[in-house]
Amino acid sequence: LAATEAPGAPAAARRRLLPQRRSAADRRNARVGLAFTSPALLLVGAFALFPLGFGVYISLTNWPLVGPYHFIGLSNYTSLIHDSVFLQSILFTLKYTAIVTIPIFLVGYALAVFVRSNRRGTTVFRTLIFLPYIVGLVAESYMAVVELQPSSGTANFVLSKLGIVSNTTAWTVHTGLATTAICILVIWFASGLTMMLLMAGMQSIPTDLYESARVDGASWWSAERRITVPLLRRSIALSLIISVVGSFLAFNQFFIITDGGPGTSTVPVVMSIFQTAFADTDVGLASAMSVVLIIVVGLITFVQFHYLQGDGD
Amino acid sequence: MASVRSSQQPGARPSAAGDPGARRPAAAVRAGAAGRGRSGRRASGGLALFIVAGVLISAVFVVPLLWETFRSFQPESTVTNPPSAASFSHLTFANYTKLLSGQDDIIRNVMNSLIVAVLTAALTAIVSTMAGYGFGLFRFRGAGLVFGLVLLAFMIPFQAVLTPLFLELHFLHLLNSLIGLALFYTTFNLPVGVYVMRNSFLQVPREIVDAARVDGASVTKTLLSVLRPLVLPGIATSALYAFLFSWTEFLGALSFMTNDSLFTLPVALSNVETGTYGAINYGLLLAGAVIAMVPCIVVYVALQRYYVRGLVSGALKG
Repeated sequence: LAATEAPGAPAAARRRLLPQRRSAADRRNARVGLAFTSPALLLVGAFALFPLGFGVYISLTNWPLVGPYHFIGLSNYTSLIHDSVFLQSILFTLKYTAIVTIPIFLVGYALAVFVRSNRRGTTVFRTLIFLPYIVGLVAESYMAVVELQPSSGTANFVLSKLGIVSNTTAWTVHTGLATTAICILVIWFASGLTMMLLMAGMQSIPTDLYESARVDGASWWSAERRITVPLLRRSIALSLIISVVGSFLAFNQFFIITDGGPGTSTVPVVMSIFQTAFADTDVGLASAMSVVLIIVVGLITFVQFHYLQGDGD
Repeated sequence: MASVRSSQQPGARPSAAGDPGARRPAAAVRAGAAGRGRSGRRASGGLALFIVAGVLISAVFVVPLLWETFRSFQPESTVTNPPSAASFSHLTFANYTKLLSGQDDIIRNVMNSLIVAVLTAALTAIVSTMAGYGFGLFRFRGAGLVFGLVLLAFMIPFQAVLTPLFLELHFLHLLNSLIGLALFYTTFNLPVGVYVMRNSFLQVPREIVDAARVDGASVTKTLLSVLRPLVLPGIATSALYAFLFSWTEFLGALSFMTNDSLFTLPVALSNVETGTYGAINYGLLLAGAVIAMVPCIVVYVALQRYYVRGLVSGALKG
């Protein structure tokens, strides 16, 4: 996201450390700079870039978890087209992403409007609203497992008192109910992050813009629409990308709460890859799925980034 | 502003209005004072409303966590039976004592999590600081490319390189290794860490760097003794992100650890959930989830300004 302002730009401010002895100092700087940045490059190269290339390579083979392998060209990719579990997992993930994205954004935006002022108490409210995100979805999913139990869970207890569901509703064994429960959990978990990101953007908007809008008689809503949203485009793009990519890569909550069930009806893409690699031990096919996933996530990021901040800046 | 207005003495109004020698026309003063009074009431009423709304909204996010903490002190039989009045009276440490002793031995998993999280935080802080120093204060050919490559890891979802990474770690004998897991976590925390640290070093006044060099300090000594205190907030930010990431990470630990005794806490809890250690015990599961939750809250509340700092720099400059 920040590669556009990478170092090496010919800014005068970048001249460091004894510029008068140009060539010797430059050589020395180059050596030192490379030496200090090499551990980071080494780690990223070894555990991110290499696996990426290695994954593409494996996807062209019939690599089992153990044993010999040989090249099979694009067979893994062509068999993906007929892999009903994988296709279903993509559809399910898209549906899940579509369901949670807008609520996370709207709730996050409303919360950001609420906590963006410097009134008394806002810092405390920000911290408290952000806690579910900090605690993490894994611990919360385990809690949800206990509370979604029929007869004993708090969810049924409260909802049956309100007359919404019966006390014996088995949330995790019904596709629609399980998805609903997980979506509510995720919206609760993730809107704090959107709040923080949007709030940071809102606080950087000069307040005199709002004052002159008020002098001109603009309503709160039109100030929000004409000043905040346009100037917030970067933050909106960032928060939507984080939220959409996060939803598309969802795994933990599904693994813990439904384990993909009933059947394979709540298997998201990452779980489909995980099962293909480690349960079916078809690493080649799993890698082909991963390549598809990377391309889809890359496309989503690119499109959102382009659409939301490409023009006009 | 609001509190200043509302704290003004209302008694001042009649005397000012009734004083013919007042410099301003009495009507204007009266109007002004009335205006103050009205806006003062509105401001304090608004503040009260704001606080009430804030408490209610915060409750939506915090009460479930508090409720689960409370539930973790209920005996297992209460957790798995319909709630009743007795649920609130009978509290016990039984879930915790059972979880932290005996055959389940979750304490070992807590230690694993702690080792990996601290190692990840330390490695991320060190490697990011070095890289930030290199990118921020030294010009060298290829710096842009190297920086771009490090940030590229930000674009690669680790979920999508899990299988090749599994094979690679296997070849490197880093499967079932806490160090291997920490190296993996560190790598995917580097984009944020390096970005934050490079900005920290770019904000150091150049005169300070030059002065250290003129005084004859070596490159390393300049970093360790002159610049370290100046970039400490950035170091805290990168270490904090890495710690929280590592402590709550699930999928990587689930994939790269196959030996029960090396499981991190989140993975070990999936054994509790499915009853690998015997009958499924939801009391234990809640206690385990609370143990997983508490360090996050403590670390975050103590260091949140560093966390928010990272978010803000990402949100505004990203």
